[in-house]
Amino acid sequence: MSNGKVVKDVMIGIFEYPHVPYWFSIGQAVRIVKVSFISSKKYTDPMAILVFDEKYNLMGTLTLKDILRGLEPDFLKPSAKAQVPEENESGLALIWDTLFTKGTKELAEKPVSDIMTPAKRFVEPGDPVTKAAYLMLHNDLALLPVLEDKKKFVGIVRMIEVFDAVSDAIVKE
Amino acid sequence: MIELIDRENHQKLYLQLHSIIKKKIEGGEWPIGTQIPTEEDLCKMFSVSRATVRTAVLELVREGYLKRQQGKGTFIYKSAVSDGISMMTSLRELLFEEDLIFSTDILARTVMMPVDDLDIRLEIPPDKHIIYIKKLHSIDNEPILLQESYIPYHICPLLLEDDMRHASLFDLFEKNYGIKITRVRNHIEITYLNLNESRLLNLTEGTAVILLTQHFYSGDTLIMYTRLIKRPDRFQFLIELERKLL
Repeated sequence: MSNGKVVKDVMIGIFEYPHVPYWFSIGQAVRIVKVSFISSKKYTDPMAILVFDEKYNLMGTLTLKDILRGLEPDFLKPSAKAQVPEENESGLALIWDTLFTKGTKELAEKPVSDIMTPAKRFVEPGDPVTKAAYLMLHNDLALLPVLEDKKKFVGIVRMIEVFDAVSDAIVKE
Repeated sequence: MIELIDRENHQKLYLQLHSIIKKKIEGGEWPIGTQIPTEEDLCKMFSVSRATVRTAVLELVREGYLKRQQGKGTFIYKSAVSDGISMMTSLRELLFEEDLIFSTDILARTVMMPVDDLDIRLEIPPDKHIIYIKKLHSIDNEPILLQESYIPYHICPLLLEDDMRHASLFDLFEKNYGIKITRVRNHIEITYLNLNESRLLNLTEGTAVILLTQHFYSGDTLIMYTRLIKRPDRFQFLIELERKLL
């Protein structure tokens, strides 16, 4: 299906993405996103930041969605008990707007480790691309880290390369 | 008389050329401010390849003897013996008496983006990665010095793999990577500890401490920016200035 392609054929380098330690604040991460992607018009998909520990081990990833979710006031987050009718959603969004300057700035002080997607699933450079595709699909991951010997972080797999590799079979038939 | 490259000599050609040019500068044959011959002319003068010339010149730029000016050429920047009166100080003495330090803990060694004003301090674009190293130095298990160092990643990508507990970054640059530190700009001030720093130094938040910030240069290239926070009660440090008269 993926023409025998393995992860190392499609992975990209880790320096394609900004690195931050886990103690950086959400506010600092926002500024990094602006500098690294938005101001420079480098619209990669996904736009994300890699979060490391103090020994330079990968801890997780931070997408734009993770950041916005981290800045959202708690009472706007959906709960199992409170069903919000669709027509009220725009109203709640307006409340978020009024709170944005004060509440959101406080939330922006939180460390990125509170809101990142923890890196729990990995692939090895020699794994088939289909394994990466499976893990990304079933765990809703935008990025998948590539570890060598289950330890050294050597690359990243993105959906676009996985899609390209996996879909080759269809296009070529 | 033109000193020539000795091909029987086992020393690498670029090192020989480096030594010849250095002698010309130090001897005053090539005075400060003058332009050195072009790469092509140097190739002809010494019968060496362009790569050899380029490596020798780059090393002299890094050592601060030469300065490159975009679109103009390469010029003599300084001689080892100054034309005027200069204040000389030993780099070692500005490193807070490292010999006194008994133990070092590496609190962090990682890669990050230059937040706040770090890109300006490191003279790099804001979207370039930097290496961050945080060390805590202690004497008799008492923490006395907190050191945070920031290095542009491209200067030394392999640095994170080195043993930083037993060697100073200064030594690693010079011995492992051949990066010679030719200039250190120091700034000393009083600062007040934040919560995190106070916990590490076993002091209360807001305690006044000495902050030394250092910019390390190799030639014109900024290699590292360091912040050293030092307990004011443990020991003094000395900067000896020697006035060189010609």
